[in-house]
Amino acid sequence: MIELTTRWLGLDLRSPLVVGASPLTDDVGALRACVDAGAGAVVMHSLFEEQLVAEQMAAHRFIDSRINMDAEARSFFPESEVFEMGSGSYLKRLERLRSTLDVPVIASLNGISPGGWTLHARELQDAGADAIELNLYDLATDPAETAVTLEQRQQEVVRSVVGQVSIPVSVKLSPFYSALPAFVAGVEAAGAHGLVLFNRFYQPDMDLDALTLSRELVLSSSAELPLRLHAVATLFNRTGLEMAVSGGVHTGDDAAKAILSGGTVVQVVSALLAEGPQALARISDAMNRRLSTMGYRTVAEARGALSLDNAPDSKAWERLNYARLLQGWR
Amino acid sequence: MAFQTLDGNEAVASVAYRLSETIAIYPITPASVMGEHADDWAALGRPNLWGQVPSVVEMQSEAGAAGAMHGALQAGSLVTTFTASQGLLLMLPNLFKIAGELSPFCMHIAARSVATHALSIFCDHSDVMTARGTGFALLASGSVQEAQDLAAIGHAVTLKARVPVMHFFDGFRTSHEISKIAALSDEELQALVSHEGVEAHRARRMTPDRPVVRGTSQNPDAFFQSREATNPFYQAFPDKLEAVMDRFAEITGRRYRPFDYVGHPEAERVVILMGSGAECAHETVDWLVEEGEKVGVLKVRLFRPFATDRFLAALPDTVQHLAVLDRTKEPGAQGEPLLLEVSGALMEAWSRGERQTLPRLIGGRYGLSSREFTPAMVCAVFDELKAGAPKTRFTVGVRDDVTQLSLDVDSELDIESPKTRRALFFGLGADGTVSSNKASIKILGEGTDLYAQGHFVYDSKKSGATTVSHLRFGPLPIRSSYQIRKAQFVAIHAPQFLERFDVLEHAAEGATVLLNVPWSRDEAWDRLSVEVQRVLVERKARLYVIDAADVAEKAGLERRINTVMQVCFFALADILPKDEAIARIKDSIRETWGRRGPEVVRRNVEAVDSALAHLYEVPVPDKVTATRTRPPRVPEDAPDFVQKVTRLLLEGQGDRLPVSAFPPDGSWPTGTSQFEKRSIAQEIPIWESDLCVQCNFCAMICPHTAITAKVFEPEAARNGPETFEAVPETQTPELEGLDYRLQVAPEDCTGCGLCVEVCPAKDRTRPKRKAINMQPLAEHCEVEAENLKFFRSLPDVPRDRIPRDFKSLPLLIPLFEYSGACAGCGETPYIRLLTQLLGDRLLIANATGCSSIYGGNLPTTPYTVNAEGRGPTWNNSLFEDAAELGLGMRLGLNKLVGRARQLLEGMRERLPQGLYNSLTGPCATLDEVAMAARRKAVARLRDWLEDQQGAEMQELASLADELCPKSVWVIGGDGWAYDIGYGGLDHALASGQNLKLLVLDTEVYSNTGGQQSKATPMGAIAKFAAAGKETRKKDLGLLAMSYGHVYVAQIAMQSHSNQTTKALQEAESFDGPALIIAHSPCIAHGYDLVHSPAQQKRAVDSWAWPIYRFDPRRIEEGLPPLQLDSVRQKVPMKTYMQEEARFRMLELRDPERYERLVAAATEAAQDQRELYKQLAGIHFEPHDNPESGQGEGEQHD
Repeated sequence: MIELTTRWLGLDLRSPLVVGASPLTDDVGALRACVDAGAGAVVMHSLFEEQLVAEQMAAHRFIDSRINMDAEARSFFPESEVFEMGSGSYLKRLERLRSTLDVPVIASLNGISPGGWTLHARELQDAGADAIELNLYDLATDPAETAVTLEQRQQEVVRSVVGQVSIPVSVKLSPFYSALPAFVAGVEAAGAHGLVLFNRFYQPDMDLDALTLSRELVLSSSAELPLRLHAVATLFNRTGLEMAVSGGVHTGDDAAKAILSGGTVVQVVSALLAEGPQALARISDAMNRRLSTMGYRTVAEARGALSLDNAPDSKAWERLNYARLLQGWR
Repeated sequence: MAFQTLDGNEAVASVAYRLSETIAIYPITPASVMGEHADDWAALGRPNLWGQVPSVVEMQSEAGAAGAMHGALQAGSLVTTFTASQGLLLMLPNLFKIAGELSPFCMHIAARSVATHALSIFCDHSDVMTARGTGFALLASGSVQEAQDLAAIGHAVTLKARVPVMHFFDGFRTSHEISKIAALSDEELQALVSHEGVEAHRARRMTPDRPVVRGTSQNPDAFFQSREATNPFYQAFPDKLEAVMDRFAEITGRRYRPFDYVGHPEAERVVILMGSGAECAHETVDWLVEEGEKVGVLKVRLFRPFATDRFLAALPDTVQHLAVLDRTKEPGAQGEPLLLEVSGALMEAWSRGERQTLPRLIGGRYGLSSREFTPAMVCAVFDELKAGAPKTRFTVGVRDDVTQLSLDVDSELDIESPKTRRALFFGLGADGTVSSNKASIKILGEGTDLYAQGHFVYDSKKSGATTVSHLRFGPLPIRSSYQIRKAQFVAIHAPQFLERFDVLEHAAEGATVLLNVPWSRDEAWDRLSVEVQRVLVERKARLYVIDAADVAEKAGLERRINTVMQVCFFALADILPKDEAIARIKDSIRETWGRRGPEVVRRNVEAVDSALAHLYEVPVPDKVTATRTRPPRVPEDAPDFVQKVTRLLLEGQGDRLPVSAFPPDGSWPTGTSQFEKRSIAQEIPIWESDLCVQCNFCAMICPHTAITAKVFEPEAARNGPETFEAVPETQTPELEGLDYRLQVAPEDCTGCGLCVEVCPAKDRTRPKRKAINMQPLAEHCEVEAENLKFFRSLPDVPRDRIPRDFKSLPLLIPLFEYSGACAGCGETPYIRLLTQLLGDRLLIANATGCSSIYGGNLPTTPYTVNAEGRGPTWNNSLFEDAAELGLGMRLGLNKLVGRARQLLEGMRERLPQGLYNSLTGPCATLDEVAMAARRKAVARLRDWLEDQQGAEMQELASLADELCPKSVWVIGGDGWAYDIGYGGLDHALASGQNLKLLVLDTEVYSNTGGQQSKATPMGAIAKFAAAGKETRKKDLGLLAMSYGHVYVAQIAMQSHSNQTTKALQEAESFDGPALIIAHSPCIAHGYDLVHSPAQQKRAVDSWAWPIYRFDPRRIEEGLPPLQLDSVRQKVPMKTYMQEEARFRMLELRDPERYERLVAAATEAAQDQRELYKQLAGIHFEPHDNPESGQGEGEQHD
């Protein structure tokens, strides 16, 4: 059995396997079971700027504006029910997780604008978060906005969040950057401590019967892993940032590959949602067996062994795969 | 001394709460707010004077609250309650008991009219006067300050005197008036209340340690003496009251007496009255005395026990002419109650020789149902006292051209001090005008030395409501207990008001007028009508304009313009330095909305900051330049009654109508909502006929009947307007050859968007374009109004041609249209559908609640008639008795039917060939062919009867219509069905009569503002369930099923209209009682009702709202009577709950409790599903001798 302890963002984790941001973090019981099954840390689901704003304004519109509009009904809810629809409940949950779990709790922040929003980072720190995972996403729909503008704005958000707190900040990215290493360098320069690769989105699907769009959370599969492995392997030794692999880890071998590509930690979500907390123990055991069979004594030894820099046939990471396949055919 | 700015309800509740241990209440306007405050304070853990949090319990009715009060008093507790009107009447039996047992107890009444020919939520003293024989002492307050003070005095004196006290103040006028008052501190209350009295009360408690029996039955030998034994307590009461009042004066410096005289010390003419009218009289007397008149007013604070000696002592000896004013009417009485007490007292003084002469005494009525009572009216009374032969009985405030009782009033008289600033605000219910005015009064009242007063007037609409705020502030105390007659500042917060009523009627000379309109500075003047321009010019007004909607929109506040307008008010009114005012507004925003979240504060503050840059003055020229006059309020072709009466009510000029204009028995024509064109939508649905699939979902769901579908003969539409488009009907084989059109009623639509939400038809190339799309009203109003007129004139196809399936039913003519219900209301579509099925044969007994307000609140009524003039006939009796009212209608109807048949039988031999048979065969209310034949036969019968002689012939002619079957439906909400009316509902079901009960279940008391009922689901936050309801919703359907002879269905129309239409028709065809419980999305659920179809589907799919039908007839077919229309639980309970604020608020407040209650609600649904599944599988052996429907004179042969 190999030594699993890992240092991530300056935190000592007893395992590189981390429960990623997901609805699971609303369920304290399930999280405790994940920790019992060996999770090294948990990441809370995101505190969403858009959602907070939308909820506050909905309450303003559907509750507050129905006060004092009728002779008989002064209002429709008890007066004492005017309470915080901001980050309060998220912070309470964070505090609760911190007091319940004996592993680091990483809060997650999902903002769309620099400025006032990033003040929430301080609240997360004050509520006891061990680190912050900052979720960057931007949907470019404006033809006038260039990649440069967009990326600069994102780096600005990173800088402003990092500037708010003394705890470490990791940044979770989407896979869609034309020059990922350069962007990552900018993120590093903005003060981030780690990267989480990659975000998975609620991808809208189409309901062909109704001729509408549908939105469902589709769980990942191991097929999504290679995209992450490729990015991590490429960035390994090319960035000072530690990296977490997120998306597509379902088996012990998946987790082992994530480490071998250069990941410091491995986030697991879909497997837990599908299978429950016991999936974590299963993945952990299998990864452990696999890496120790391969002769590693610690995960640190295995980290990056098959990265672009270290892999025996490292060109495979750089070349497009078809070249390899053509060779095989010939 | 701490000054606070609050309303009468809060001031009184604050005292009563602190001096009580047990508070049993039931919501009723205008007293509900007092109970809500008490509940809120208890939820926040605020202690009473003895350090305990009072128990606040909401009961099933006021009768229930009274019983609980009685019990708590017997247990030795300090008890209070708050009520009004019918609520007080329901308490009466217990009040006699409480007084009979000499229990110290003080209750608070926001006095309100008792319903007679009509319900009224407004103020008079008919409720408390009905209670004057209970043995309670009656204390009257006239202002917010007095209401607070006399509340404390009432609680204190009852502990000393043991006579229970009913403290009353005027509903709305005082209960809802915001005023700056000196607030009573805990220490002051401590000093006032007798702790010996508390101990003595506790010592009399029922306890097995010192047992007694109370509530015995007594015989003629004992009862009388016992009653007389209480005399000393009543005799001592005035002394004790005076002592408490003296003590109160020592503590606070504010002195009250049982009778307070104000005026000239040698007054010759005096008026006597109680309540808020006395404040107006006080103000007027002060003015008249200044003018040199020898007049005065005697304010009665203690009405019962009537302290004759103190009354006589309070009256100046110089009085020669007395007028007693009563705010109640006792038809047929020698005089109203106060007049009788006064005349009795004077007569007694004279007969005892204490007075040598008697003043001339006259008595009058004023202020019924909050009719304005003004200084001009007080002067009219004083003038009458001067007359040689005054009217001994009179009215003031109405023009009585029938019995000539009314006094003439100088409507121009204005006595208000110029030092008092007056401002009027016309707002929309949802734009926040009243809220920000309340905030402004607080800013002025608590931030300056000024006195301040706010009074708010609401119309009775639940969508697009109009509010008028009356604000006064100034250096002098404000006694003006009437609406502002001359305002120096008038703000019109919505442009449409300029076109709807005379908003400048009360603008003073030189007034500042502020308009929120989307106009530029250059065009503003020219946009105004002749009427508006004329007032502005003649009164030399200054005109300011702002596009506040645009400012609010840009700040992300949609159309909530209140903070923008508030800034403009402070900027123009010049009461506070501008910067200080703005800083205070921002503070008040932070204080009010800070807890909601930073974004709400940020956007409101942004609106404040950008407001003044958009405010500009429009120069008022010296002459009127407009040629356009204000459009007529009702169409010129409206019926005479609508022109003469309804129009004035709509214009806010109803006060000017004379007595003769009104039906004396409360009967009003139906079908008048069509004349009230309110144009409250921003956007309306516009039909794209090329895409329409004629599913009629839009017409099925529309809460306001503002989009309707019709089929008609193509030739009929040949002469329609050019834009009147129609397409061939293609969906229903039975309607082949007809044309189809979907029509919007542009000026009646509320813009809720539900129709577009449910429209399934999409443009294949651009699916966001549907068969109906929301478009700006302004662009389509004129064209569609014209089209609607033509659409309505198209003859209906015979009813029997239209299939009775859920897609075709909306093609039947709706006889319920354009109600004032909330945008997106979930109740009204059920009623509309019912009128489509049965409207021309329908009697409705309606419980009080939302459905009686949007269904029957003047000025207009949504129930209407078809081309033959037939339509639903409707009555609202009370909140609690709708089922009994309906049962009575059914029984009474049955007797008339029986008599008609009896008469018919008697002339059977003489009738023309075949007529008897066509009048007596089977005829079900849902059988259109049979109904049409029966109507024809009745017409033939009438024709024949016309040529016949004899009393029986005439009698049958008057009853012939009853040979066509009728249907009686009872409609009400869950407050009625589950709580206050449950006993009657249960009894009506048990009666076996052919009676249908439709429960519009919003799961709270919607009309009074969201108090919990027994229909409130577990985990929901509601008033009186602020921590989230702990117990399961009552399963009303299951209780009804237990009878076995009742048809029961639970339905959900917004998502399952097919099942709904089946259930309604099965219920109607069932020959016996039927109960239908209808899921009704409501604004009290706290979400955008445009999502109600999806949310209701979640309710059904999660088994929060299972839909089913229980039909006893199925037993005879060997089938289980219960059919589940939603069998599986398709989504988790949480998926349903998380979408509504009432559940979400609990999650925010207490996540663990939320999770626990979600789990408990899930279990409850599982249990119910298990039970129902088993019931749906039960097999009964058919009975040998079926006994269904025991109705007498059955309608369904």
